[in-house]
Amino acid sequence: MRAPGAIKSALGAVMSSVGPYDRNGSTNGHKPYRYSAFDLLRHGFSQADWPRAWRRHDPKSSYDVVVVGGGVHGLATAYYLAKNHGITNVAVLDKGYIGSGGSGRNTAIIRSNYLTPEGIRFYDRSVKLYETLSADLNYNAMFAQRGHLTLAHNDSSLRTMRWRAEVNKLEGVDSEVIGPDEIKKLVPFMDTSEDVRYPILGALYHPPGGIIRHDAVVWGYARGADALGVHIHQNTEVTGIDVTGGKVSGVRTKRGDIATPVVVNCTAGWSTLISDMVGVKMPVSTFPLQAAVTEPVRPFLNPVIVSGTLHVYVSQTDRGELVFGASVDPFTSYSMRGSLEFTEGLAGHVLELMPSLAKMRLLRQWSGLCDMTPDFSPIMGVTPVAGFFVDVGWGTYGFKAGPVSGETMAALIATGKMPDLIAPFSLDRFASGSLMGEKGAAAVGH
Amino acid sequence: MSMRLDHRPGEVIDRQREFTFTWNGEEYPAYGGDTIISALAACGERIFSRSFKYHRPRGLLTASFLDPGCMVQVDDEPNVRGAHRRVEPGMVVSPQGVWPSLEYDVKSANGAFGRFLSAGFYYKTFIKPRRLWPVYRRMLRRFSAGGTVSASPAQDYFDKRYAHPDVLVAGGGPAGMAAAVAAARAGAQVLLVEEEYELGGYLRWGDEAELAALRALREEVASSPGIEVMPNSVVEGRYDDNWVAVMQRDLSHVEERLVKARAKTLVVAPGLIERPYVFEGNDTPGVILSTAARRLINLYAVKPGERAVVFSANESGDAAAEDLARSGVEVARVVDARRGGDIVRVKGGGKGVRAVECSDGAEIECDLLVTAVGWTAPTSLINMAGDRPVYNERAARFFSSHLPDDVLTCGGIAGDGTLEELIEHARATGGEAARRAAKTARRLRGGIPLESEAPPAEISELPLYEHPALFRGKTHGIVDYSEDVTSKDLVTAEKEGYDSIELVKRYTTVTMGPAQGKLESVNAVAIMAETTGRTIEETGTTVWRPPYSPVTLGALAGRIFEPVRYSPMQPWHEIRGAKPLVAGAWIRPDHYGDPASEVLNVRENVGIIDVTPLGKFDLRGPDVPKLLNHLYVNRWDNLEEGRVRYGVMCLEDGVVFDDGVTGRLGPEWYVMTTTSSGAAGVGEWIDNWLQTAHPGWRIHVTPVTTAYASINVAGPKSRELLLRLTEGVDLSPDAFPYMRVREGRVAGVEGCFMWRLGFTGELSYEVHVPAAYGLHVWETLMQRGADLGVGPFGVEAQRILRLEKGHFIVGQDTDGLTGPYDVGLGRMVKLDKDDFTGKPELAWQSEINGRLQLVGLQPHDGSLVPPEASQIVEGESEIVGRITSSRMSPTLGRSICLGFVAEHLTTPGTKVVVQLPGGERVPASVTPHHAHYDPEGTRQRG
Repeated sequence: MRAPGAIKSALGAVMSSVGPYDRNGSTNGHKPYRYSAFDLLRHGFSQADWPRAWRRHDPKSSYDVVVVGGGVHGLATAYYLAKNHGITNVAVLDKGYIGSGGSGRNTAIIRSNYLTPEGIRFYDRSVKLYETLSADLNYNAMFAQRGHLTLAHNDSSLRTMRWRAEVNKLEGVDSEVIGPDEIKKLVPFMDTSEDVRYPILGALYHPPGGIIRHDAVVWGYARGADALGVHIHQNTEVTGIDVTGGKVSGVRTKRGDIATPVVVNCTAGWSTLISDMVGVKMPVSTFPLQAAVTEPVRPFLNPVIVSGTLHVYVSQTDRGELVFGASVDPFTSYSMRGSLEFTEGLAGHVLELMPSLAKMRLLRQWSGLCDMTPDFSPIMGVTPVAGFFVDVGWGTYGFKAGPVSGETMAALIATGKMPDLIAPFSLDRFASGSLMGEKGAAAVGH
Repeated sequence: MSMRLDHRPGEVIDRQREFTFTWNGEEYPAYGGDTIISALAACGERIFSRSFKYHRPRGLLTASFLDPGCMVQVDDEPNVRGAHRRVEPGMVVSPQGVWPSLEYDVKSANGAFGRFLSAGFYYKTFIKPRRLWPVYRRMLRRFSAGGTVSASPAQDYFDKRYAHPDVLVAGGGPAGMAAAVAAARAGAQVLLVEEEYELGGYLRWGDEAELAALRALREEVASSPGIEVMPNSVVEGRYDDNWVAVMQRDLSHVEERLVKARAKTLVVAPGLIERPYVFEGNDTPGVILSTAARRLINLYAVKPGERAVVFSANESGDAAAEDLARSGVEVARVVDARRGGDIVRVKGGGKGVRAVECSDGAEIECDLLVTAVGWTAPTSLINMAGDRPVYNERAARFFSSHLPDDVLTCGGIAGDGTLEELIEHARATGGEAARRAAKTARRLRGGIPLESEAPPAEISELPLYEHPALFRGKTHGIVDYSEDVTSKDLVTAEKEGYDSIELVKRYTTVTMGPAQGKLESVNAVAIMAETTGRTIEETGTTVWRPPYSPVTLGALAGRIFEPVRYSPMQPWHEIRGAKPLVAGAWIRPDHYGDPASEVLNVRENVGIIDVTPLGKFDLRGPDVPKLLNHLYVNRWDNLEEGRVRYGVMCLEDGVVFDDGVTGRLGPEWYVMTTTSSGAAGVGEWIDNWLQTAHPGWRIHVTPVTTAYASINVAGPKSRELLLRLTEGVDLSPDAFPYMRVREGRVAGVEGCFMWRLGFTGELSYEVHVPAAYGLHVWETLMQRGADLGVGPFGVEAQRILRLEKGHFIVGQDTDGLTGPYDVGLGRMVKLDKDDFTGKPELAWQSEINGRLQLVGLQPHDGSLVPPEASQIVEGESEIVGRITSSRMSPTLGRSICLGFVAEHLTTPGTKVVVQLPGGERVPASVTPHHAHYDPEGTRQRG
């Protein structure tokens, strides 16, 4: 791996080769369309068609920036490139439909109560962006800040909760440790008795945490990016990346070759395969993460509940379904089939927390792929190949970081300067030993 | 108004058993064998629920488990399939999600505003102002579907069972029954799983010839000894290697039971699901499927209406028309799709169907419309087996394209044919399934062919009949009844850019309801195909995921088994009122009432603590030193017999993973101890290295954590106490000095070993005795030491004692990034050893600066104990460390701490600022040693 200095100068070279951008916010001739209640009424009466949320294009022969991966990270990167930096000649490529990877498979939990100051600042910015996202994108992503409870079942996890609460407070993030009585008030269904196998000793309560409609985040960014002139190409699998003289020069896709000086790897599950195309090795292992959802029942659960000891997290959607997640499977795999053992263990753990849910029915299980790094933190920024950027290694916490990742990656690509928020997550930290300490807060930390 | 008919030849109701139950607050009569809905329909009820979004009245549609309008609340159980669940005397059944009542629902006003509530409308509004969004959201939540769970329901019993059938047949219709019989006759053990209460499938509501065939097949099944029949059970999922989940429902003593079967061959014979037709008003109560009409009439003797129109494209529709006529329903018209007939819309409202408008312009008054437009193949199980179903245009349904060897299909999912042809095909399939199972059994036995292998059976292919491709008519109607998604919604979504089946599913939520697409999926695909101008095959389907039908969390969990570990001395602790502490798998005494006096007793007299949870591994063989050198960062090839040594283990990333003491008891015999919480992890770690990297090392590893009860005897009088109990060991300081191990007899118990070491800083002996004698030795220590003041101490006292002594605890005073150089153990790391876990990382750690360091800390106000996790700060809010352990020291009479501080603060005497959780800041100083008490260690060496 190269020294950081070499990477920085390589970056500068790329950015000068991209040339000056049109900063006037050109939208390539497209007139954005705004949704509103009035508009809904108008369409209700006229029953006229709505305009496409994003358009279809044939891939152009060249773009200023090509983003690989049409999930929340890729689309947000493209959106902020166009919106904040006026870089609109951008393509987002996805091998399937947009949001078909982790963005459409996660459990849509948003929070910022991490353990390290760096992690907290980063995710806090993401929460702030999520709070105004619906208005910014003119697309209601239905962010519900219902509060987030991380349960402690033993004194060591209670100590970690206190640690997180203290660091959170110093960083200005609303977090506190609460006791079983307060937990019971927030979640009447919770079994807070002392004579159970894993008694609940307390919880880290994080009021700004909550859930969001994950697909709507993807579609909102896609629509916003499209309105600013970004091209979204679905069913466009990348088959190779061309590097000329140590610099990215283009991507090959199943729909033809595209010349570009900048490629951003915003994939998950396949991130190592994309980086391999330019010979960049990353310390990433891919594990399946399973999730499941129940049939809907009337709302009874407001906050998001997480138990690291029992490896489970639970929330109830506005539709009434309970959404469950767990820790990653204990082995690396690209399989997304799901297992019976997962649902058995999951159901047992949910019932240990809330025994009265025994007659609720599990409706569907699925799984996604998580790219785990050694320190449970992402890899963001430049690589030894000039023009090849990465925003990968998102483990089980990528969705909640979507907006801030897009914003910072866009700033890095446009300005050539590494934003402070993501400087701790650079690829070269594995060479310099500046690992992040998020294992404790991120492992089952939904 | 009774709709109950006279006796039908195939009826499943027991007219001798009449009882009542409650629906919607009123009493209703029922017969044994009735479903909740058939009993209500027999009383003339037509509306059983309100739809999810528009709150339209909903009645019967399929009269089966899938019926979307028949979900009801039964006592504390939500979302009960009322058209499947048998009604019981006294059952209290209520409609779900209606307000104020089923008949008059104010939210049905949504229906009038339906034109404004197009798919995804919520994404387009409620955006501004942001502060009102929580209000909107609460309003939207009122529309959530489903029943109610209560916070404290009756305790229900669920359990699990394993099964190892040679052949598992999913589906007990004619094909499944024939396949099961053929497989059993070929010598296979067969598990035959049927979703309904009896075997028979569509034969049950058939004509006399079909009923005769049903009787014959049932007799064959009953007389085949190798078949276990599971009625009212569903194959929920097929996982790798035919790991098959079966859910048994409604057993007499168990709510639901999960049967986990390793089937050698799986035969998928689920039959076909009748597909609804999409047109305006297709969800009006009184619009039902032909199979629903036939079930109602022939199984439950219920007349579905008074005057009917039948829209038929197949034999099922024709048979339904005949059934209706025979049961006294006036069949106003049969609209035959095969002759170009079509229906345009149903007119009606809250009370149900009023008239049907046909494509020729005729408007026929009626209260019942029966549709028979075709079939959907439930391909979920074969999809879970890795198959990608492909659409066949002639048969207008999906078929398997490539099945693994251990999965076969028969019945309607495999093709068409006469009953005889289908049964013949199923018999051949069952025989072949048995043959393949036998082949697998031989392979599992070790590949030795015990008999000559039979050749694969010839299974003739079934014909495919031509089925009309009827999905949507000339008008728009409901596609997904549970989700209230119309065909117009799908078209709109497609035009908005949600143009693949997966996107349209996510945007409109079509197929995401309780039926998971079994009724709706093909219609949704067909409408997408129609809108995009692609074929159904090009459009494709969404992926079917387990479970096949929703299963209770109770059944998946079964009898929750969370084992607890106790030491043999636990009864003694409990009698003495020890406060229990949950420590991973163990429950152990936290204290016996007053930890501070327990501490002082150890410092002044002698205390004993139960340390049985310490991880213990018996290591034997010539290569044990290699293993120790590999796992620990320090050196182990020179440990003499009779000595013990402290060691630290790191992971490959150089992070401290565990620590403990290992002693050498014989030339090739060592015992390793680990932390209590780390025992399982270290065990896996040892196995991992020995099995992957060093399979050649001659080492036997035996986990002996629970084979020995472990007692630490600590305090200045510990030697005196042990002298009274120990035989065969010279306890004098010269013969048994610090850091040595000895074997001997304690309290008359052979096979004990003890080492002079402990966590407390006092003269101490850790005594390991065979577990069965643990309580005896403990009690003897207490009796014989009474005059010395011996007392028990718990984990809390031990934590104070070790903190006074400055010993860190892995996981408390270290975290996921702490290396040995950060906690003052750098000198232990022997980088000149050949190789050991974490060496490259540690070599690099040894050279860098700037990491936090563990130090002893003394608050200036000795009466104040900063809570653990208090942060050490500089300036406004910069974090430069934290308190990892803190206690009031009974020995020193002041507070003591361990904590991490930034490198520039490590010099003894440096003043730091501790921020307490309340926000108050207090000063503390870095102490010269980690130990606050006896830093030279003279007491423990005594």
